[in-house]
Amino acid sequence: MPTDTLNSLGEIAATNTWGAIYPEMILGCLALFLLVLEVVLPKFAHGAIPRIAILGQILLLGYIVVFDPSGCCNGVAFGGMIELSGTGQALRIFFLLASIFVSYLAMVSFENKTLARVEYFAITLVVTGALSLMAMANHFVMLFVALETATVGFYVLVSYFRQNVLSLEAGLKYLIMGALSSAILLFGIVLLYGAASNPALAGSSEDAMNFQNLRAFLEANPTDSLAIIGMLLVISGVAFKIGAFPFQIWIPDVYQGAPVSTTAFLAVSSKAAGFAVLLTLVKTFAPLSSVLVPVLTGIAALTILFGNFAALTQRNLKRLIGLSGVSHAGFLLIGVIAAQAVPQATNWVLFYLFAYLLGSMAVFAVFAHLPKVWDSDLELDDLGDMAKRNGFLGIALAIGIGSLAGIPPLAGFIGKFLIFVAAFKAELYVLLGVGIVGVVISIYYYFGVIKAAFFEVWRFTDEDEEAEAAPALPGATLTGLGKLTIVVAIAGSVVLGFFQGPLGSWLSGQ
Amino acid sequence: MTDLFFYLFATLTLGCAFGVVFSKNPVNAAMFLIMTFLGMASLFVLLEAYFLAVIQILVYAGAVVVLFLFIIMLLDVKEENKHRVKPLTWVASLIGFALLILGVVAITSSDNIKATSESLPEAAGASLKNFGYELFTTYQLPMQVTGFLLLIAMIGVIVLSKKVKTDS
Repeated sequence: MPTDTLNSLGEIAATNTWGAIYPEMILGCLALFLLVLEVVLPKFAHGAIPRIAILGQILLLGYIVVFDPSGCCNGVAFGGMIELSGTGQALRIFFLLASIFVSYLAMVSFENKTLARVEYFAITLVVTGALSLMAMANHFVMLFVALETATVGFYVLVSYFRQNVLSLEAGLKYLIMGALSSAILLFGIVLLYGAASNPALAGSSEDAMNFQNLRAFLEANPTDSLAIIGMLLVISGVAFKIGAFPFQIWIPDVYQGAPVSTTAFLAVSSKAAGFAVLLTLVKTFAPLSSVLVPVLTGIAALTILFGNFAALTQRNLKRLIGLSGVSHAGFLLIGVIAAQAVPQATNWVLFYLFAYLLGSMAVFAVFAHLPKVWDSDLELDDLGDMAKRNGFLGIALAIGIGSLAGIPPLAGFIGKFLIFVAAFKAELYVLLGVGIVGVVISIYYYFGVIKAAFFEVWRFTDEDEEAEAAPALPGATLTGLGKLTIVVAIAGSVVLGFFQGPLGSWLSGQ
Repeated sequence: MTDLFFYLFATLTLGCAFGVVFSKNPVNAAMFLIMTFLGMASLFVLLEAYFLAVIQILVYAGAVVVLFLFIIMLLDVKEENKHRVKPLTWVASLIGFALLILGVVAITSSDNIKATSESLPEAAGASLKNFGYELFTTYQLPMQVTGFLLLIAMIGVIVLSKKVKTDS
């Protein structure tokens, strides 16, 4: 090995600034610590481990928000593997916040079940770190490794209730669909790499999997058919993760069968990571936008329409929320397309994601507290008279659903409003029209949920049966911690609806 | 000479791949899979990617297929009976095949493939030493993340297959 090669490798190694990714490292170490605790602690103390996981994440989140809100350093690190930016920092906080909610939901829904518990929290932490690295990825190798880490974690988390047949079925379906989407993504990466590292073409690079190098190549050869096919395959692979239209078939079954905490994790964090990747990739593929934008526009319109129409007829709560999540992916796609013409739309997409996080978590927290053995069996009728039986959960559900539907004083409304403003500024009038139609349709099924919870269900039964059919909701299991968590979620939705100042200025200041 | 070897090994790979799909006995299919991997490894040798060829044989032909054989024997899979193929499956597979052919034609007719260069760069994984240096400098972070990937995969397998004691 010649010394100059060694020197250049040494220079690359010097960019391995581990300090820049300390949150991900702490998450990984916390996961290992939990596994060690399971071995070290006596059996009766195992109940404390989930609390330690949540406490550790809250401390980390607090540290980042208070001392390091805009990230330590911008620019590429690790020899171009990741790019640290304000968007990355915002998403890091997003994933951490979502992970705290997910851990709490898992703690609630694992009660009274014979399961291995600790591993769920360790895997959640590793997946969160991987998603956060995925959002920062600046190189296809890093992107793929982080994506696979998250996906492998999700395979386990989806089928975690293994005594429940639906959970196992969901796990198998997610495994096959995930493997298929990874294969499509990899094929696209290979084609792009092959196209961009052909030394006979202008702008080719030896490290063609780096996004900047790839972009330079695409600028030099915007009509390369090999690169266009590769790009379409990569976009298809990402569309699987976000559940956009032709690739949304796995969503209802997987969302229904997975434990409610995993459903929340998939719906919020996994989708947000997909959008982070999409935002980066759309920038990288900007020279090919004459092909990319029509494709994404079609996907966005069909996603909104499909998600809303399919959700109309659903009775199962988790399928309903899953399909409504498909339409949310469509709205976010509008924001991503608009971000090409209107730069601040990137921040609005992030705002929408935060609003979606808070709304979804409130709804999923209510689902986790409903008295069913397996949360995959939750139907609309199970909400019957909930507002009367447990007013607190009823209000939480109303605010969460209202925010997801985009009812004016709540955060979800501002999120949708900003996306529509972005679409208007970017002159995407067709998408704007489709989006508004989608919102109108979605009101129907969102209010179906609220109606089921707040208005008495007509039952032609005598009183004894009614008492059996509608057991009192367990207010006792709703601990102080649980109330606090739900209050944080709904308060976030309400406060962000009235007062976007801090989050908005923080996002745009990035 | 290289062309002759290429056609030889390409035929071997493709023929054995057909064997995997069409053989009724699962053990035979696994054996054909080994031959397919050997053919692919030979193609890697022709491309001067020796390290990749060795890995292909060690990991895929060696470890993965042996695992397949173990599972086939543990599950005691019987010879598969001929089941009727639905018309819809025929249509779908024909469309898939047509798309595949279209893709191959589109890729081979693209300017990128035609514009070949005499001085091809050396692949990063071509020599073991080069590969090691790259792995521990440029690709250090993905490699560490891969460690976590393997860890959670292992934990996941244990969690999903271990018997849970019904104590509470």
